[in-house]
Amino acid sequence: MSPEFALAALLGAPLLQALLVLALSRPPGLRDLVHVLGSGAVAALAGYLVHAVSQSASPRIVLANPLPNVELAFSAEPLGTLAAAVVGGLGFLHAIHTSGMVRAIDQKAPARLMAFSALTTAAAMAVMFSANLFSFFVAYQALALAAFPLVAHVGDDEARTSARLFLAMLLGASIALLLPAMIWTYTLSGTLEFQVGGVLAGRIDLLSANALLVLFVLGIAAAAAPPMHRWLTMSFTAPYPALVKVQALAVLPAGGVGLLKVFAYVFGPALIAEETGRQILAAQILLGLCGVIMCAAAVIALSKTDIRERLAYSLWAQALAAIIGGLLAAPAGLFAAALQIVATSCAATTLLMAVGTTAAVTGRNNVADYPGLGRVMPWTFAGFAIACASIIGMPPFSGAWSKLWLITASASTGVIWAAGLVGVAAVLTFAHLGPLAANAFAGRAPTDAFKRPDGASILLVAPVILGAAATLGLLVLADPLASFLSPVWTPR
Amino acid sequence: MSAVLDLLRAHAPMAALALLFGGAAVALMTPHGRTSWVLALIAMAAAAAVAADMGWRLLAAGGALETSALLAIDGVAAFSAPLIAVLMFLALLAGGSTLADKPKRAQAYVVALHLAVAAGWVGALFARDLIGIVVSVHAAWLATAALVAVSAHRGALNGALRMVMSGGAGAAFMLLGAALVIYATGSSAVAGAADAMISAPRMATLGYVLLIAPLLLMAGAAPLHAWAGPAYGRSDAGLVLAVASISALAVVTRLAAVAATTTAPGLADGVAAALVCAGVASVLIGSLQAVGAVNVRRLVAYAGAAQAGCVLVAIALESPAGLAAALVQLLAWGVGAFALLAGIAASRDTTLAALDGLGRRSPLAGIAITIGALSFMGAPLTLGFLGRWRLIEAGVGAGWWWATGAAIITSLAAVFYGGRLIERLYFRRATEASNFDVDAWRLARAPVMVAAILAVACGVAPAWMLDLAQRAAMLALGLTT
Repeated sequence: MSPEFALAALLGAPLLQALLVLALSRPPGLRDLVHVLGSGAVAALAGYLVHAVSQSASPRIVLANPLPNVELAFSAEPLGTLAAAVVGGLGFLHAIHTSGMVRAIDQKAPARLMAFSALTTAAAMAVMFSANLFSFFVAYQALALAAFPLVAHVGDDEARTSARLFLAMLLGASIALLLPAMIWTYTLSGTLEFQVGGVLAGRIDLLSANALLVLFVLGIAAAAAPPMHRWLTMSFTAPYPALVKVQALAVLPAGGVGLLKVFAYVFGPALIAEETGRQILAAQILLGLCGVIMCAAAVIALSKTDIRERLAYSLWAQALAAIIGGLLAAPAGLFAAALQIVATSCAATTLLMAVGTTAAVTGRNNVADYPGLGRVMPWTFAGFAIACASIIGMPPFSGAWSKLWLITASASTGVIWAAGLVGVAAVLTFAHLGPLAANAFAGRAPTDAFKRPDGASILLVAPVILGAAATLGLLVLADPLASFLSPVWTPR
Repeated sequence: MSAVLDLLRAHAPMAALALLFGGAAVALMTPHGRTSWVLALIAMAAAAAVAADMGWRLLAAGGALETSALLAIDGVAAFSAPLIAVLMFLALLAGGSTLADKPKRAQAYVVALHLAVAAGWVGALFARDLIGIVVSVHAAWLATAALVAVSAHRGALNGALRMVMSGGAGAAFMLLGAALVIYATGSSAVAGAADAMISAPRMATLGYVLLIAPLLLMAGAAPLHAWAGPAYGRSDAGLVLAVASISALAVVTRLAAVAATTTAPGLADGVAAALVCAGVASVLIGSLQAVGAVNVRRLVAYAGAAQAGCVLVAIALESPAGLAAALVQLLAWGVGAFALLAGIAASRDTTLAALDGLGRRSPLAGIAITIGALSFMGAPLTLGFLGRWRLIEAGVGAGWWWATGAAIITSLAAVFYGGRLIERLYFRRATEASNFDVDAWRLARAPVMVAAILAVACGVAPAWMLDLAQRAAMLALGLTT
């Protein structure tokens, strides 16, 4: 199998999966099997591409030429490939978990949920493999449209409001800010291709660079830079399988990867002012804003009693940490950001699946009801605790590596205060997640009856355990990942 | 047979008009409604084929521009006439299934009126001089108003009346404008102003503004679109709406061709300023109204006003890139509006609630409406995106950065109302209002899918279309391709 074929198959497989899930929606067993196998195929193809890219392959496919000198093209480069592999692998676990969830809670329209979940995966993969800004824009809009039904899935007024906000914010920002930024970039550089070293390097004046940076950062609302984050904190009303997809596996990671691609391949050294050797003014302002809001998000999370809402704010804080890494405009910062996205994706998927399992079995969504649950659901809450520790950044869990790199990069680029803010945010994250995980084991086991007295099925527990294992596995991968990602900032 | 074909090709503009007028006459004389509809379809298809062949020869094969005493073909007409003829054919085809709702005696009249509308707009595009434009435009306009008037809902009469009244006033303004232009430039030819030594530039500018204002009114550009709400909102058939929409398209096309000739010093700035003001106002007002609309057909009318605004801004650039952008935008508007209106025709009710669950009850209608809405939003890989992109590119190239704002406002508003349409199609349960009209949908299915496929296909592989638009713009501006 050639890498090009693998790339095309990776982008097409989720589309086929969606069609098959809808066509074979009955019996439910067949539907679930198709969903899991499709997700498995995506994971395998993404793994193959990681191998191919590590062997210096750079597959590229062109689907169309919608504009002169602008291709709808996708290519496998290290950053996108790594993120796709992580999202694909976790997506396989999530597919198993989804199969368990739809049975456990009698989810309405499960085939539709699975189909749009697959379509969202396809769009997220397209974002990660986009070879130029145009393809990124196309994939990004497809992602917003594919994820919209997931947010609206419940169908009540609250879900509709959230979904409308979700769509309006993602599409609105992309049209109002990202599109002009893209055209401006095209006007300045004559190309929309993602290039190592940045297409704008040496071609842009300081004022334009500042303005463009703001347009890109706010235009890619999926990355959740303030004030374009409302979609994230409002989307907690989605059913759990959709929530995992939106917050941990597709929209938020794709936004983060997209923004990193823009930092690395569009701006490159253009993010550094030649006169001062420091980040350009807009980058510094955005760094400060993201740093402060990251801490604020962690504080707000502390005030939320619904576990889904608390996690939404917590993940927002983590997403901001990734943006901070990119804005540092240094290889170490970009690596920290990439690692942060990967680690957060692993931990968030595990965490949300664990919370989903808990809700399916116990019917509990309130953090006040969590103490003692670890005693009756030890495996699920073991995964929950490991994921919490990773998100907090507790050594030696994978989240600690990204925080460490972030602090190092901040210090090495002279932005000491950013390092301080990362540390403060970690403490605040500990405050809103740490006691929750600890009390789940330390508290007295609840005596009232659960929604499902027979407990969680293997389909609900196994993915949580495996997700936690993946979170632990990243521990030993920091060096290979740094080596794998080095072409992002160093041309081969 | 080949001699007849050669004759038709040699006199393509006249042949296209003759086919349409002749078809209208034959349809009128045919006593049986269904037969007259079939004959009209044949005439319309033949006219569309002749126009398409002519456009292809002129734009793709680099043929010579055809002129006669009354008719002249410029680049804009060569690009747009086939489009309008094809859309009219699709509208007539789609409307066939609702023809039976009309009284038997009225059926032949409806079909003949449809052909008269097409003949009027195609004639206006081919007209060589200003008076010919005025006459053709008003013939088409009155025929369109008559089509609206024969709708079953009495409220449509209000719309038709407004169309007639505003059209009458518009005719007076247009004649006055034409007279001023002829006086100032010394020529009645549309292309006359391009090379003329204009003795009274202000008078010529005023003349063009008076010519253009009624065209804006007929195009449904805000705030001159008082007729559009009642006409769109109360008409009972997708056929009529599609015809009205295509009419708007034709008007703006004619306007583009007229504006392309106003490049003479002392004239260009005034006309461009008028077009910019009208365009920006139409974008703002149309977008706001579309966002607030609760009647789905009115929504399309207001969205069309916003789209028209974008086209006007592109025309005002008075550059090949701007005019090409306007043509692409026109194509996107026409195809998107057709897909929306014909898709919506699958439901009897006109409220937004009528769309609830339509995506499940009629998947094809749902797809068509979705694609139409996405194209209006300017979503990538649709025609709408190309139109926006070309407009912004042309605007930035000319230093008109603010033109980006017009395109973005239109798209943002479309995200709101388009998102609302899509949400209702797929995320709501059917209510009592959502009455699926099986009869209306029977023949509309094929044309609406053609429009939807065209909107996507041209968005994915647009090279040929962009090339034709560029050539058309160059020809219209008198530049070599």
